Amino acid sequence: MSVSGQEKTGPPPIEQSLVVFDNVSRFYGEVLGVNRVTLSIPPGITSLVGPNGSGKTTLMNLMTGLVRPTRGSIRILGVTPDDPEKLFRLLGYSTQFDSFPKGLTGSQFVYSFLRLFGTSHAECEKQAWKAIERVNLVDAANRKVAGYSKGMRQRIKLAQSIAHDPRVLVLDEPLNGLDPLVRAETIALFRELAAEGRHVIVSSHILHEVDMISDQVILLSNGYVVAEGKISGVRSEISEHPMQVLIRCNKPEALAARVFEQDSVVEARLHADKGGLLIKTRDADRFYRLLNQIALNGIEIESVAPADDNVNSVYEYLIGGEESTK
Amino acid sequence: MMSQYWAQIRAVIRLEMKKTFLAKRGLWVYLLAFAPALMFGAHAFDVMRTRQYQHEVIAGHPVSRNLLDSIKPGMTMDEVQVKLGDPTSRRTVTTRRRTRTWLRYTDGESQYDFTFNDDELERISVHEIASLQEDKLIFATVFQFFFVRLAIFFGCVGIFMNLFRGELIDKSLHFYLLAPIRREVLLAGKYLAGLIATVVIFTTSTALQFWLLVLPYDSASVSQYMQNGGWQHLAAYLGVTALACLGYGSVFLAAGLFFRNPLIPAGIVLVWESANLFLPAALKKISVIFYLQSLCPIVAPPDRDMNPLLALLISSAEPTPAALAVAGLFAVTAVILFFGARKARTLEINYGTD
Ligand SMILES: Nc1ncnc2c1ncn2[C@@H]1O[C@H](COP(=O)(O)OP(=O)(O)OP(=O)(O)O)[C@@H](O)[C@H]1O
Ligand SMILES: [Mg+2]
Repeated sequence: MSVSGQEKTGPPPIEQSLVVFDNVSRFYGEVLGVNRVTLSIPPGITSLVGPNGSGKTTLMNLMTGLVRPTRGSIRILGVTPDDPEKLFRLLGYSTQFDSFPKGLTGSQFVYSFLRLFGTSHAECEKQAWKAIERVNLVDAANRKVAGYSKGMRQRIKLAQSIAHDPRVLVLDEPLNGLDPLVRAETIALFRELAAEGRHVIVSSHILHEVDMISDQVILLSNGYVVAEGKISGVRSEISEHPMQVLIRCNKPEALAARVFEQDSVVEARLHADKGGLLIKTRDADRFYRLLNQIALNGIEIESVAPADDNVNSVYEYLIGGEESTK
Repeated sequence: MMSQYWAQIRAVIRLEMKKTFLAKRGLWVYLLAFAPALMFGAHAFDVMRTRQYQHEVIAGHPVSRNLLDSIKPGMTMDEVQVKLGDPTSRRTVTTRRRTRTWLRYTDGESQYDFTFNDDELERISVHEIASLQEDKLIFATVFQFFFVRLAIFFGCVGIFMNLFRGELIDKSLHFYLLAPIRREVLLAGKYLAGLIATVVIFTTSTALQFWLLVLPYDSASVSQYMQNGGWQHLAAYLGVTALACLGYGSVFLAAGLFFRNPLIPAGIVLVWESANLFLPAALKKISVIFYLQSLCPIVAPPDRDMNPLLALLISSAEPTPAALAVAGLFAVTAVILFFGARKARTLEINYGTD
């Protein structure tokens, strides 16, 4: 239909099915957005995971030409983001921006931007309603977007990004603000889209939210890709590398004794001032759960902080995310 | 390919139309556009009311223009009154040395005041109730100094500046940038949308003003004017209006891409355009007003009796033929749009902090 075929000679066929970042960096003035990112993303569901400011949106904006790389190059199924005419027949992007053109209803919104493809009224109308059905928003489609709830706005954005049947979908925090039922429906839709052979690239700052559905995960921290691959691989990559945690508390010896009951804790070192200790653990998840119990038993914990950055801090952060969803 | 672009441009125009014509913050554009029409309407109403009053007066004192024109200085008051009948009003001032008398007559179009020194007609002053000739000059002045330089100017600031800038502020520009449309085509579509809106609004106002200009005059003198250059004047005014939208539109579309605050470029351009008269000939041509000025059908009076000191500062304004002026304006517009398109190509989405 609207998907243009791969014409002429071009990059080798494998390139034609990948989203490729080749040593890409982007600085916002002095501020690092992402640095030295090299990735090849195959079809299927890929999650970009990292805390706020880790560079997820920057990577997605780079993929779609909304920002340009300071260094490096990007190809989406062999197409450069500098060529919107080609790129956006292949790709749909639902951004993190929660804003819409004024005065339009949901269906007018999806329809109007489909018209920019240059296709006929009837065709656009058909595509728009098909997409609206897919995100389950038919009932609200004739109401003004301005009156939508956060979840409905997320879904109409999703509809807008899939309406032209793109082979690559880039979705920035698409599950944010969805209730559990809609979230499940939306995840099912991602699976469907991926099963059709598309790229579905989603971002989230909660690993737990996407790890079950992802074919692969890319962990970001402070603008760097810190881990990448199948979810099981990423998990073991994290746990093989013991994590260091700094704890300040009133009875560090007692705490040390308690935490050593856990076999995943490999080391505990008291601070010279007797006001805290450093702990190395292979299973931060369990460790934090234990720590919560201990805190209930009379040891006053002043602060808990990861002692090294990168993977550990990301992991700490992600565990935090799991905690909060319990 | 061209038909594809054209379909895309039409889609952009569809999306922009409501924003350009019915922007909530855009009401003042209409006020600005139709202020002169309001003024000419009030004037027309006033003239027609005065004229009606005069007609009621001459119903009681019917006098023809021929008769009035046959009165010559030197005649006595009696001779005048025999010819014309009773005046509509009379005033007498007596001093030690002499008696002065004023008699006023009207034929419904003009007011004739006869001044008698003692009994001899000394002076005749004719004052038209309203003069199309005079009103045409007023129209020319208002058109050049208010309508083009301020109303259309700021109307274009309001409409064209917002085409990109407004969406950057609303954080909705990215939807356009995520469609398979060349940035140049997007720019063309937005420019055309702004052009349609401003041309419709401002030429409607121009036409309305012109209609109100001739409205109070009798059909004979109106058709006399229309046959003798009136239609050309109207066409020129409409043309200048449209060209002003074309030129200022491109300026402020580009300004909206380069600046975040609309007041800065608007101020700079306003100063530049106002200073145009005093610029050396080469610089004059980098403006919009220079070309519009040469296309205006009637030179507005303030140009003629300008302060001689100021006049000295004005560099020789070689008269530009119409075709050249139009071509010049198109050239300026094209250059500005070219730079706008270049900026649009490299435009990044940076709405500031989310
Ligand atoms: N327009 C900008 N100007 C300056 N700095 C920016 C800009 N956009 C992003 N950054 C910086 O780049 C880094 C990455 O930001 P980015 O928005 O990509 O993170 P993110 O992972 O999407 O975060 P979030 O979870 O909050 O959406 C941050 O340090 C951010 O401050
Ligand atoms: Mg983000």
